[in-house]
Amino acid sequence: MLNKKVNIFLLFIAIALFVFLPRFLTGYWVRVLTTIFMYAVISQGMNLMSGYMGYLPFGNAMFFGIGAYVTAIGMSKGLPFVLVIPLAAMTAILFSILLGTPVLRLRGHYFAIATIGMSGALLSVVQNATEITGGAMGTTLPIIDKAPGVVYNYFYLAMLGLMVTTTLSIHFLVKSKFGFGIRSIKANEEAADSMGINTTFHKVTAWAISAFFTSIAGGLYAYWMSFIGPDEVFDVMIAVNTIVIMLIGGAGSILGPIIGAFIIELFAEVAWSAFLEYHLAVLGIMIVAIVIFVPKGVISAITDVLKRKKISVRKKVTL
Amino acid sequence: MGLQMLVNAILLGGLYALMGIGFSLQWGISGIINLSYGAMVMLGSYISLEIFNFFQIDPFISMIMSGAILFVIGAIIYRGLLQPFLKGGIVFTLILTYATRLIIENIILKVWSADYRTIRLSYVGSNFQFGNAYVPLIKFLAFLLAGVLVYLTYLFMMKTKTGKGIQAVALDKEGAQAVGIDVEKMYMINFAVGTALAGITGSLWATIYSFSPHLIGVIVGKVFIIAILGGLGNIWGAAAGGLLLGFAEVAGASFIGSEWQEAIGMVIMVSVLLWRPYGLMGKKFFA
Repeated sequence: MLNKKVNIFLLFIAIALFVFLPRFLTGYWVRVLTTIFMYAVISQGMNLMSGYMGYLPFGNAMFFGIGAYVTAIGMSKGLPFVLVIPLAAMTAILFSILLGTPVLRLRGHYFAIATIGMSGALLSVVQNATEITGGAMGTTLPIIDKAPGVVYNYFYLAMLGLMVTTTLSIHFLVKSKFGFGIRSIKANEEAADSMGINTTFHKVTAWAISAFFTSIAGGLYAYWMSFIGPDEVFDVMIAVNTIVIMLIGGAGSILGPIIGAFIIELFAEVAWSAFLEYHLAVLGIMIVAIVIFVPKGVISAITDVLKRKKISVRKKVTL
Repeated sequence: MGLQMLVNAILLGGLYALMGIGFSLQWGISGIINLSYGAMVMLGSYISLEIFNFFQIDPFISMIMSGAILFVIGAIIYRGLLQPFLKGGIVFTLILTYATRLIIENIILKVWSADYRTIRLSYVGSNFQFGNAYVPLIKFLAFLLAGVLVYLTYLFMMKTKTGKGIQAVALDKEGAQAVGIDVEKMYMINFAVGTALAGITGSLWATIYSFSPHLIGVIVGKVFIIAILGGLGNIWGAAAGGLLLGFAEVAGASFIGSEWQEAIGMVIMVSVLLWRPYGLMGKKFFA
């Protein structure tokens, strides 16, 4: 019980710290942190699907793109942001249910590939429906009429809020009966099915939740950047990054995506400035190094070390 | 008009068939979705470009070199990078092959830049007439060679000892191990044969089309469609899948518009996945 209270206390301290942090940082670092929060949100969506349920939605960037484009189109039609965001989330959920119901029957490789295919098809549609989406040239959103520093602070706080909400929601979701069903699908889908768990319902709902948070991140991103292009928001790299973030943080742990996002994005920032011409190769080598050295993620590596310490302490005592 | 379209589709499909087989073998038999396949095809093109620039050797001959180089690269990547993490499942192989793609892409960008390159052969303009359709000589040669190579791959898989070993491993890993086949070696050779085919396709590609690192993603998209249409690990299936994609693209370009080409391919792929996940021609054997 005490542990729980301590955790809640620590959570509030951490949130308060991050809320006041921008006062001490330059605009550049505020933007970097906002990006980190955004990737943490998308990685949580990936974590729910892959880390907890064992399905790899390699094309999950499409929900990011849907969120971004619905926001862009809605706002260019004059709708306010607070109204457009729920609309974007609803569209993403609708897509995830319509596409997920047939596609989630596929397992393993096939599911991953089918989502890549759908993401590619959607990208193509957005590129070609020039009248609605602006086509391959991209589209612009209204710019908030305030000083850039103030605006960046808004988005920093919004992304932070989204990250905290996403993390807490998925934390409680995974602990609930529904989450138990999801984890049982990862352990053994046939067994889960024969125990009376409605696997289709669980899988589609989990994907819809993943789509929900990813699309809101996309919507915020679009408003933040005030210009988006189809290649950028439907980029497979977004999904690849989130998978790497999930892996380095630790798949199937609730803090994994946040820690992973901090490590990867800070590293990427350094790589961009230090090796401008080689940043792709550096990123590739880093991915390989992560898989080789911390295949289970940082969190489990740390707990492993802690466990080993405990054991060695115990050994000393018995000696 | 109708005949010309048919000829174009077959000529395009022949190249696609060769391109898809390597990917299909790697996925169906070694169990690796090779996201770096597109980068390897392009690497083959650039190897031929360099050989052409330095020694004036035709890509139709230098494709042997790109095949050999890519074979070695494939074997090294499999042994050093992929094999230790196969047990980790799809997440690891996808991520690792994607990392490989990023590294190769960066090398290509650094050495040859992002510009489109072409190899201009002296007989680039020659063509002959077939009925009332024009057949460009280079495309015809590339098609012929692709066909020969598909058949050679088939012979390798069916007639040689190594090929039979690979088939045995694909059918029953434990059984193959029990009769003394070096399973890991078979997987490695199979993977390397796949990358060699990628390199050869790259050389043939370079004779017909211009190439640049921008095509890497496009090619990966195409080989996905071809492999899934044909059924994984199935040589004739992949060949048929390649021809089919050629037809779909040529027909789609003239009836719907070439800007929808990729969307059409993706929609076909997802529908086939849902309808027959083991491919149009495949049996439920490898997958």
